[in-house]
Amino acid sequence: MHSRFSLWIIMFVLALWTIPAAAHHGWSGNGTEEFELSGIVETGVSLAGPHATMKVKADGQVWDITLAPAARTERAGLKEGIIPVGAQVTIHGHRNRDGKRYEIKTERVTWNGRTFNVYPDRD
Amino acid sequence: MAWLEGSALGHAMRTSGVWTYGLVNLAHILGIASFFGSVLVLDLRLLGAWRQVPLDSIARPTVPLAAAGFAVAATSGLCLITTNATEYVGNPFLLIKFPAIAVGLANVAVVSRLSGWKARGTRDLSSREQWQLAAAGAVSLLSWLTAVGAGRLIGYW
Repeated sequence: MHSRFSLWIIMFVLALWTIPAAAHHGWSGNGTEEFELSGIVETGVSLAGPHATMKVKADGQVWDITLAPAARTERAGLKEGIIPVGAQVTIHGHRNRDGKRYEIKTERVTWNGRTFNVYPDRD
Repeated sequence: MAWLEGSALGHAMRTSGVWTYGLVNLAHILGIASFFGSVLVLDLRLLGAWRQVPLDSIARPTVPLAAAGFAVAATSGLCLITTNATEYVGNPFLLIKFPAIAVGLANVAVVSRLSGWKARGTRDLSSREQWQLAAAGAVSLLSWLTAVGAGRLIGYW
């Protein structure tokens, strides 16, 4: 009786763990089509947190630019302070699936003729 | 949240190297693993599993391990959230996680006052006491599962 009850609890626990996440840490929360944005750096590259970030303003809209994890972004040469605030940059990546969220998960940043390829293994 | 992010701790997290966040995240996971693993064993015992093993024999290793794991998880969690606290404004999983933690901690306070918990290892418990402990074990398991599950999903929002 009791062992059957415990078994039921354990199965319930395991079932909870299989609940799929709606949006994912990876790329599935972002559109599959390639997306490009040109604009002005509003907030420079920050290597803090789970991913490096920056903000770019284009047509009056400030976009959240999500880069690779900090160490990876740095390895791509994109260190804090390299691209000055106010510089013109082009962001290449995938925009958030949610049309109300102005966020791009970034593969490449182009500035002043230099390309910082934070995900060289992706197109 | 802005205050958290502007704190000295948040500043230190952001300026102490590209591996800091990842390593503190590792501490958070190890803390949760020790905590939740211990809680899972204890709660399943309260719910009636492994009845041939005395409750006190299971409580002796699991309770201090859970407390230590919680301390590590809470400390590292504070560091993580101060790094970019304003990013979490409006994140629904955060609003599930912290109330779930509050319920879990309140349940710990309740259990420590139950006569069945205090008398463990000294005498046989009445069936009423066993039911109280089983109910507390169920509340514990549900609240911590909710906290861990919602916490894991914060980054996926």
